[in-house]
Amino acid sequence: MSIPLHYYLGLSAVLFAIGVAGVLTRRNAIVVFMCIELMLNSVNLTLIAFASFMGDISGHVLVFFVMAVAAAEATVGLAIVIALFRNRQTVNIDEINILKW
Amino acid sequence: MAEQILQDLQLFYPELALTATFLVAILADLIFRRTSVVVSGIVMIGFVVTAVLVLGQSDLHASIFSNMIAVDPFAHFFKLVIIISAILIVVFSLGSAELNSPNRKLGEYYALLAALTLGMMLMAGASNLLMMYLAIELSSISSYILSGYTKEAPDSSEASLKYVIYGALSSGLMLYGISIIYGLTGSLDIYTINQVLAEGDISGVALLIAGVLTLAGFGYKISAVPFHFWTPDVYEGAPITITAFLSVASKAGGFALMIRFFKVTFIDSSVVTLPEGAWATFEGFEWYHIIAAMSVLTMTLGNLVAIWQNNLKRLLAYSSIAHAGYMLMGVVVLNNQGLAAILIYFVVYLFMNLGAFYVVMLVANKTGSEDIEDYKGLGARAPFITVALAVFFISLTGLPPTAGFIGKLYLFAALLNSGWVWLAVVGALNSVISLYYYVRVFRNMYLRPADQPGPPLVFGKLQTAIVLVLLIPTILLGLYFTPLVQLAQASVKIFGTP
Amino acid sequence: MGVTILGIGVLTWITFLPVLGMVLVLLLPKERRDAIRWMALFFTGLQVVLAIIIFTKFDHGMAGINTEAGMQFVEKVPWIDVKSVAWFGRIHIEYLLGIDGLSVVMVLLTALISFVAVISSWTIDKAVKGYFALFLLLDTGMMGVFVALDFFLFYMFWEVVLLPMYFLIGVWGGPRREYAAIKFFLYTLFGSVLMLLAMIALYFSVTVYIDPAGVIHSVADATKMGMQGLEKIYTFNMMAMMDPGNYVPDSLLAGTNTSWRYIAYIALFVGFAIKVPLVPFHTWLPDAHVEAPTAISVILAGVLLKMGAYGMLRISFPMFPDAMIHYSWHLALLGVISMVYGALVAMAQTDFKKLIAYSSVSHMGVVVLGMASMNTPGMTGAVFQMFNHGIITAMLFLIVGVIYDRTHTRGLNEFGGLMNQMPKYAAVMTVAFFAALGLPGLSGFISEAFSLLGAFQTFRTLTIISVITIVLTAGYMLWVLQRVFLGSLPEKWKGLTDINGREMAMLAPLAAIVIFLGIYPSPVLDLMNSSMNFLAELLQHAGSATLMGLQ
Repeated sequence: MSIPLHYYLGLSAVLFAIGVAGVLTRRNAIVVFMCIELMLNSVNLTLIAFASFMGDISGHVLVFFVMAVAAAEATVGLAIVIALFRNRQTVNIDEINILKW
Repeated sequence: MAEQILQDLQLFYPELALTATFLVAILADLIFRRTSVVVSGIVMIGFVVTAVLVLGQSDLHASIFSNMIAVDPFAHFFKLVIIISAILIVVFSLGSAELNSPNRKLGEYYALLAALTLGMMLMAGASNLLMMYLAIELSSISSYILSGYTKEAPDSSEASLKYVIYGALSSGLMLYGISIIYGLTGSLDIYTINQVLAEGDISGVALLIAGVLTLAGFGYKISAVPFHFWTPDVYEGAPITITAFLSVASKAGGFALMIRFFKVTFIDSSVVTLPEGAWATFEGFEWYHIIAAMSVLTMTLGNLVAIWQNNLKRLLAYSSIAHAGYMLMGVVVLNNQGLAAILIYFVVYLFMNLGAFYVVMLVANKTGSEDIEDYKGLGARAPFITVALAVFFISLTGLPPTAGFIGKLYLFAALLNSGWVWLAVVGALNSVISLYYYVRVFRNMYLRPADQPGPPLVFGKLQTAIVLVLLIPTILLGLYFTPLVQLAQASVKIFGTP
Repeated sequence: MGVTILGIGVLTWITFLPVLGMVLVLLLPKERRDAIRWMALFFTGLQVVLAIIIFTKFDHGMAGINTEAGMQFVEKVPWIDVKSVAWFGRIHIEYLLGIDGLSVVMVLLTALISFVAVISSWTIDKAVKGYFALFLLLDTGMMGVFVALDFFLFYMFWEVVLLPMYFLIGVWGGPRREYAAIKFFLYTLFGSVLMLLAMIALYFSVTVYIDPAGVIHSVADATKMGMQGLEKIYTFNMMAMMDPGNYVPDSLLAGTNTSWRYIAYIALFVGFAIKVPLVPFHTWLPDAHVEAPTAISVILAGVLLKMGAYGMLRISFPMFPDAMIHYSWHLALLGVISMVYGALVAMAQTDFKKLIAYSSVSHMGVVVLGMASMNTPGMTGAVFQMFNHGIITAMLFLIVGVIYDRTHTRGLNEFGGLMNQMPKYAAVMTVAFFAALGLPGLSGFISEAFSLLGAFQTFRTLTIISVITIVLTAGYMLWVLQRVFLGSLPEKWKGLTDINGREMAMLAPLAAIVIFLGIYPSPVLDLMNSSMNFLAELLQHAGSATLMGLQ
């Protein structure tokens, strides 16, 4: 007995939605980055589910790349947060507002 | 297999040269820690070599690494645009006061510039969803760092942070779209996806959602509304050289990727009744309506918001959003004429937009300000470069006898020739709106005296020469555009399409 | 036939001489103001000499309008030539200049007015170099509009005019110059982008055939020749666009009286009407005229407004005769509204310059009414009125300039009793004002009479209504004379000097022309007679063809 495909898809869709909602509503830059990771992981889940369901390898390959890129992106993102924190003593996105319209 | 890869590598020389440039630049930066002259020299040489290698690829029509990357005239054209602007950006960077402050090490800057260029060149040829994602991310991550490079300036790191967040969000959306497309069609290769779609038992709605999600990734790269939010902030906060580079090359890469993706994936090759050079989309995938709406929104919003800007970099950011909107009009018409119009526009845009940014940079070097108010009375203090800026702006507005007019002419011609009259009218009215904010700069430069009269601004011979290098094509291509049209017509061929 | 100098045609010379002058002006150091002024005067003077050569060599018998063979001084060089690719035909654009009876009048006017405007610019003291460089560029744009016979080239010249004009008003203008300049720029650009779209639509609707030697043949000729070795191309050639036989069946603008043809006609019309300007597109004009320096007001009223009316006669009429006939009543109505409205508003003005600006609106209404009649007297009168209005309004603005230079005010009510103080000034001004109000014996009378006569044959009621304007015009013009010259001289103007030699040099020739053409108009009328006859026939022919098509 195996878990049907749409269970995986449903779970990853929910995770993705939570991630997007988090990016749009959370004000702490660190939490925003965590939400982005959540989005990427839900994508990974979808890809793995499809790949194993279809017995196709390219989905797995893409997942590896996504993981690597996500790590790089998080590294750069956090480095920028630190640079900004040194300037501004805050990681709250609402207070990062010199640039407007 | 191995033989095939070795053979394919020969078509990959430009990208290999860029990779080598990047690696050597990093190593050189470790060795020569005191000065960035060596690294900038290495990167410059690397770019020139790449440009020569790209030029040698003019007539190829192939796909390499198991259909990962296409090497065709279309990619060749965008690679040329990208590498030429990369070379110009290195030259700009050497003369930028903002970057060359005493305590800053610029070695990494130049190395990352090579990585960014590599990412954009890969975008020009990517023909597999995996490759597209990687190319976008390579260029994005490099540009996140570069836009925050002047990290002691608070607005620079703020721009960088916003860029990362918007970038990560849209690449997340795009990946989700890709994963759905993969699930529906069982492949990441766009040619295979096209075949699967041709068989016709794919749910239209699911694929439409996936397509729109993927569009988020492209839209973010070309800064089309509603994925444009990062653009003004990043353009204002980033060093001006990076802003100029992003506004031209990043857009070029994004457009190449988007056009290739939509054209190859959704083209219905079974329809043969069309006029030569036109193509049809599968029934139920009329995504060009979405792009038409996006185009109208992009240019109108870009132009209307630009009117209210007081910072020239930010004004140019909104103007570049508007220009993305104009170029999107060429995608809507679904024929080679529209594509050729986009390509013509890109060449023109390369010169006029880089020219405008360069003059703004030169002025900021001397006066330390990018505020439009500080341009008052500049016409008398620096006659030559303000005239040059005026010509670039006239060209951006699209008035003859400048190259910008030719770009607009071909876009409108493509639209009218395929019956999109309303879109052409919207585009034309938008160029009237755009005149208003460009003229605000003229007004301050020439019509209003300075609040405090300053000394004349004197620029070096090299700087004048660079302005001329950008100015002469801007005027000349407006008066004699035969080569431009020939280049564009030869470059519309995309691998895997009729 | 043609006149060439150093192997280059005279029309190229007359168009691009000012650009040459501009380059030389830019090379002069900016301290040498007088050298710059003389340079500009020299080049516009050469233009006048060339204009006189053209005038003497012009063949009165050739009609032109819709045939290249009927054009004179034709110059034709391939400009853009891109070979055809599988999915897109060959692109062939020509550098094509030529004049006929319609444009020769405008060429003469442009040369003359530019020359006079340079003399009047002598008092400009601010950034002399920039002023004359832009002025000469403007001159090239204006001249180019009148000699171009390729729509693409025409459009280029049309747009080249805008930018120098913006700066000339914006930098050297009066207190509200920024507002006036941007308003002018936005209005005219709005009109010209519509024109651009109409131009592209025409381009894709008209095909001709090109032979290996690069000669263009119309579809009818090509059919006669058996299509041997001919290649089909789209074209911007204006004459090809006037031949209904060249329209591709099923293209956007093919056929007659289709809604797309009406839309294209209206797009062109708005572009031209803004330049003319017709009420309700006129609001840029009073601002621009009032704020511009004297010489630029002269150019605006003398030449720029004519570009709009010329564009209608050159492009809208022969290319869209069906739409033209369909809308002729509306066009005449707009003309009459402009006449009456302009005159009424002029009457209420106390600012000397604004009054003349509105009188321009009124006088250009006469031009449009005359054109809309579509018969020979009406159109001849319209073109002659364009010429006369150019000369007379130029005089009027110069006259305002003279008094403004001395008193720094344009308030009509502040003057009085100047007759004895400035007798020569009073004489010139009287000639100009009487000519403007249409006194018999002066040139304005003849052209207005022709226009109204022509219009009366076609639109009785409208013409009768429009006659009110003659009374109104006489009213406000005479009232100005009274306010300025009669009554008692205010104390502060006791020291005013009469006009000097330079001012006389620019006003006297214009006054002489006004008087001469009032008595003996044939030299100018003869130039355009055959062209106007031909155009009227063309329209009549198209009209009867349309009627037959309807039955």
